[in-house]
Amino acid sequence: MERYDLIVIGSGPGGYIAAQRAGTLGKRVLLVEEKELGGVCTNVGCIPTKSLLAGAKRYKSAIDGTAFGLEVEKAHFNYATAAAHKDETVKTLRSGIEFLMKSSKVEVVFGRAEVRDPHTVVVAEAVYQTDHLIIATGSRPALPPIPGADAPHVLTSDEILALTERPESLVIIGGGVIGVEFASLFSMIGTRITVIEMMDEILPMADAEFAKLLRREMKGVEFLLGSTVERIGEKSVTYTNKKGERKEIESTMVLLSVGRVPNVEGFEALGLDIDRSGIRVNDRMQTNLPTVWAVGDVNGRSLLAHSASRMAEVAVANIFGKKEMRMRYHAIPTVVYSNPEVAGCGLTEDEAKRLSIPVKSQTIQMRSSGRFIAEEGKRAGGLVKVIAHQESGAIVGIHLLGSYASENIWGAAALIEAELRVQDVKEIVFPHPSVNELIKEACFQLDPSL
Amino acid sequence: MAEQVLMPKQGNTVESCIIVEWNVKVGDTVEVGTVLCSAETDKSTIDVESTAAGTILALLYEEGDDVPVMLPIAIVGEEGEQFEMPQTEGQVEEKASEAQPQTAVAVAPEPEVVRVAAQGASPRARNAAQSQGVRLDTLGASGPKGRIIERDVLAAVGEPLSPVAKAAALQGGSVIPARGSGIGGRVVGADLAASVSSETAPQAEFVDIPLKGIRKITAERMMQSISTTCQFTMTAWADARALKRLRAQFKAARSELGLGGITIGDLVLYATAKTLVEYPSHNAHFLGDKTRQFSSVDLGIATDTPRGLLVPVLRFSERMSLRELSDASKTLISKAREGKAQPDELSGSTFTVSNVGAFGIEGFTPVLNVPEVAILGVGTITVKPVEDEDGDIIFTDQISLSLTVDHQAVDGAEAARFLRTLSDNIAAIDLLLAL
Repeated sequence: MERYDLIVIGSGPGGYIAAQRAGTLGKRVLLVEEKELGGVCTNVGCIPTKSLLAGAKRYKSAIDGTAFGLEVEKAHFNYATAAAHKDETVKTLRSGIEFLMKSSKVEVVFGRAEVRDPHTVVVAEAVYQTDHLIIATGSRPALPPIPGADAPHVLTSDEILALTERPESLVIIGGGVIGVEFASLFSMIGTRITVIEMMDEILPMADAEFAKLLRREMKGVEFLLGSTVERIGEKSVTYTNKKGERKEIESTMVLLSVGRVPNVEGFEALGLDIDRSGIRVNDRMQTNLPTVWAVGDVNGRSLLAHSASRMAEVAVANIFGKKEMRMRYHAIPTVVYSNPEVAGCGLTEDEAKRLSIPVKSQTIQMRSSGRFIAEEGKRAGGLVKVIAHQESGAIVGIHLLGSYASENIWGAAALIEAELRVQDVKEIVFPHPSVNELIKEACFQLDPSL
Repeated sequence: MAEQVLMPKQGNTVESCIIVEWNVKVGDTVEVGTVLCSAETDKSTIDVESTAAGTILALLYEEGDDVPVMLPIAIVGEEGEQFEMPQTEGQVEEKASEAQPQTAVAVAPEPEVVRVAAQGASPRARNAAQSQGVRLDTLGASGPKGRIIERDVLAAVGEPLSPVAKAAALQGGSVIPARGSGIGGRVVGADLAASVSSETAPQAEFVDIPLKGIRKITAERMMQSISTTCQFTMTAWADARALKRLRAQFKAARSELGLGGITIGDLVLYATAKTLVEYPSHNAHFLGDKTRQFSSVDLGIATDTPRGLLVPVLRFSERMSLRELSDASKTLISKAREGKAQPDELSGSTFTVSNVGAFGIEGFTPVLNVPEVAILGVGTITVKPVEDEDGDIIFTDQISLSLTVDHQAVDGAEAARFLRTLSDNIAAIDLLLAL
């Protein structure tokens, strides 16, 4: 019987990173995957959506570029070609992971893992023994109990990515990150989009004024806030609006993006502590069973690919030596790859208030950036917000809406992780012209002293 | 012209003083003789007076800094006057050796200008402490003459501190963990907050009191005592009937004789001084390669003071009458308690007596006051059964004596002989008084 130092179940950004990191430490590692390497992120999440968004943004630039001198006679978006690019990208990245596993000496088996006990995993009747087990089985789209939700034209994010042609109209139920990203994607290529959100604002994790501005910038998308879907019909969706009125909206396709549920099935027999959000772990990613660890969406702590990868590193570090390593959640960037992009890291003002943390904040229009005006024009919307601790001056949150937000937000994570203060950031040299130099400007507006 | 005020020299043995409290601040007007600060030597507290008149332009040290004598501590001049910071320490130390003792002197500033060096800490150590968020007064010193050097600071530094943690650490009142919860184990603000007792945390698990001043010196001396000697303790009981009888008589004596204040402790001191004359082996210092026996008995009297343990010294105690000894010891002890004892009155004892009888303690193991070779612990008087000349068991007052000696210098039999003689002398204290 094969004996491993570590068996990892699930090969998403939590699982394959755990396997790879342990493999490069020289450990004997087995990675078990039921479907394709890469998990949701590579196959039906981050990567395919970015591939499609790349085409949609190019298309939008082509038809919106007259003010910048771009005159396109007959712009057409070929969805099938875009989908092929997406498939090609996914395939390339999948084989990249496969290569990474090989080079890290990680063994990979395909099949559904059956965990007999904390040290025994069975895949396709082969029995594998292990010292440690990392569960990284991820999550799947939640299916709300709405009448009609099981109809064939009602899709989840997994299914909508398999489309080969552009839908004429689309009702998106749920205005979270996934819903907003698809709304942005399809609205850019001409689909008529309606987003129905139960809460009073979209993007619950974002700063309120950012969500509001994003709605304004996403022209061509209708947002129905504070509205509850009652029923999904074949050609229409029935909902109750904010005022309590029952309304109906026509649509031939519906996307359900109301959240995700952890894939915890099959682990009940182990005696794991599992609650509604997933397998319960401590900040070392350890479950109630000392040799069983859970990383990524399956523990429900932070449903983001990069969180999963970090959790994987923390778990592997704790398993193979560095017992002092802990997962920190206070500086994890969140990005909405909409057009324009929204990115944030750390606290929002609302969160600070809820946590009774005294803060001061400064918001700057991106129009103050030379580069932003040059590239987006003087009427485009964009915001930079810096939130600092009232007393110590430590940066506790940075929020960006506008171009390059996704690529700039890592800097916010670095500032917050290093616990740099407003006065420290003022000493950093930012490149000019750039959008990110507005972070420094906001710091000077918070504290004008040199 | 701006003038420097120096830390005055305090006796021949004092190398540095700790500034306890500044009485003035920059901008205050002072006269010659105005008390600038109080400073603590290893044994006493002194007032440092200004040697110049004018406006305080700069105070060169902070409270708690350990400043070698004859180094400038303040600059006095005309308001708004430009002045130069004092020069390097080495240059000042040369000057210090030729300066007059016992008084603060003013010297013109030297032309060479260097940044102010922390005293008790090298400039590099001070820089490192500032940049790492380490408080100097919390560090042990491994440099020459007990100075804190950079190595000491770096040794105390664990993982780096975030800017927030650094700022908080320098404010003091917090304990810096060796490893924090931030990136790469960095110590972040929350790690410090966790160790600060705040109003929102009603019951702190502990309070950390930085080791400094007399406490620090006591700690060092006691550790030195234990680590450099081979000490052992023997105990005995001495017949205390004569002590009590005499004490009662003194109390009842006519007040003009001035004997009413003589205590049992004084009587024991007196007996000890007289006995030590017979036993020069116990009135000695052990100096590693030799034992130095003293011709006079300079009795150290361990004294509990508000600032900690002090040992004022009763010089030539063996030559004193009982009344002289009693008066002199009372004066010394009260000076020590009030922090007014001169440094020379707090060092140089040849034998020490520690009396805890008032607390009802029966016996204990006194710790040698190095380099002395012996120390006497005096306990309580208690009633014990003894056999009298007729073979009857009678109950008598007995006083407990605990003698610790350094076996490097004194053998057990010699110590036993000394303790036996002392017991006999105490039992026959009235006869001893006739000598």
